[in-house]
Amino acid sequence: MNLRLHIWRQSGPDAQGMLKTYDVQNVSEHMSFLEMLDVLNEDLLTKGEVPVAFDHDCREGICGTCGMVINGRPHGPLTRTTACQLHMRTFKDGDEIYIEPWRARAFPVMRDLIVDRGSFDRIIQKGGFVSVNTGNAQDGNAIPISKKDADRAMDAAACIGCGACVAACPNSSAMLFTSAKIGHLGSLPQGQTERSTRAMNMVLQMDAEGFGACTNHYECEAACPKGISAEFIAQMNKDFVASAFGGRD
Amino acid sequence: MKAFGEIWRSNIFQKWLMALTGLLLVGFLLGHLSGNLLVFLGKEDINSYAHGLHTMGHGMVIWIVRLGLLSMFVLHVVAAITLSRRNRAARPTSYAKVTPRRSTIASRSMLYSGLLLLTYVLYHLAHFTWGVVHAENYVGQPGWQYTLADGTVVADVYRMVVASFQIPLVAVLYVLAMVMVGLHLNHAIASAFQTMGVTNKRIVPAIRSIGPLLSFIIAAGFSAVPLAILAGVVK
Ligand code: HEM
Ligand code: SF4
Ligand code: FES
Repeated sequence: MNLRLHIWRQSGPDAQGMLKTYDVQNVSEHMSFLEMLDVLNEDLLTKGEVPVAFDHDCREGICGTCGMVINGRPHGPLTRTTACQLHMRTFKDGDEIYIEPWRARAFPVMRDLIVDRGSFDRIIQKGGFVSVNTGNAQDGNAIPISKKDADRAMDAAACIGCGACVAACPNSSAMLFTSAKIGHLGSLPQGQTERSTRAMNMVLQMDAEGFGACTNHYECEAACPKGISAEFIAQMNKDFVASAFGGRD
Repeated sequence: MKAFGEIWRSNIFQKWLMALTGLLLVGFLLGHLSGNLLVFLGKEDINSYAHGLHTMGHGMVIWIVRLGLLSMFVLHVVAAITLSRRNRAARPTSYAKVTPRRSTIASRSMLYSGLLLLTYVLYHLAHFTWGVVHAENYVGQPGWQYTLADGTVVADVYRMVVASFQIPLVAVLYVLAMVMVGLHLNHAIASAFQTMGVTNKRIVPAIRSIGPLLSFIIAAGFSAVPLAILAGVVK
């Protein structure tokens, strides 16, 4: 199939960017979206032009590195699918495709489709962990955890930190990501000791990074490749006020 | 504990403020609506109700309620504007193409429906409370009195309402404002419960369907009065 791509090109963090149009020919429907971009880049290289920069690593939907807004939707038109797992059979011959980077003040564009997601790392550093003394591996069933809690923690832990929730949110809010991290550890006994300070510190860091505030559009939930539920946002709202009025610090 | 100022300024705290004040205002709207519908029962009912409101607790109660409403309103609007500005600043460059999946016209227009509501509330107060617009229909003027069954002479609120809504432009403005209320609350009611951390798997779906339904009932209920008067059903 032949496609017309409109891709955001920006040579550096402070450079002025713009959408540029490219035609790609003979795209196989079996290619992944990123492979299609690889083909475009080969073509650009042979013509002596600068290839399109985009992030990727595992290419199997588990690392959270890839991410671009495809026709107005983070990771493209499919649900629960990362850009690397999106295949060209989703598109048809003659389609025009808009490809843009995540847009948020807290995710500055480094180059073309690559953004700096360091803000997510700084949120994690504020409490997305449990402080335990590592030593010998613990006995597997030493701490009983109910199936319900384990399932809930696993649902939240599925977050791969890709940032699609921020990209999809009309307010560029990071509340789905942050609430998934808080909800993951908050569902487990190991996470209880620091539960209150974690909620407080991660939320304040999220604000400090310049992410917006949730207005409950639920665009994040719909865009999340891992199907993280906005229920975790409600839980975080509750944990935050519990921490503010009665939490230990 | 963090300093209270830091907590107060946080996005989530501001969201809580908006949700709590918003829900209290919804509660007020429900009370206001049930009062308004007395118009359909006739002159006696609405006039004695209005008189009761103004004289309850030697006239103190109405002022306490007004003060409460004013503070709810100010907190709600200030939080709404603060957060909307932050949200706008959070995305300095917009997308060339956006394809929404779950947001609705109501959810995306909250600030605008809210600001229109604010203008409406000022007009509404100027009309029925301060009597500065459509003053020719205001109860404050001589002769606009009504004698209740027990002989008390009270302001003829019924006459003021009917005379006002017999003007088509006024009735239409009020109905349009109620469409705005419906639009705002269509998203707002369910949203407030999410903001306040309701996660129960049985309750959440119920709230998400009751919210829009209640918003429709509120908008339709308030609109019924001007529409009935304009149509000549109530006169
Ligand atoms: C009768 C008056 C009003 C009522 C009953 C009302 C009610 C509500 C409720 C219940 C919410 C949901 C809060 C939440 O989700 O956390 C809300 C949100 C909101 N309101 Fe109002 N409101 C009123 C007037 C206004 C006014 C005058 C403005 C003007 C700026 C405004 C702007 C907003 C905004 C921007 C939101 C945020 C949307 C969201 O987070 O879901 N509202 N309102
Ligand atoms: S919550 Fe979903 S969309 Fe957001 S970072 Fe995690 S995996 Fe990506
Ligand atoms: S490259 Fe790892 S999730 Fe797409």
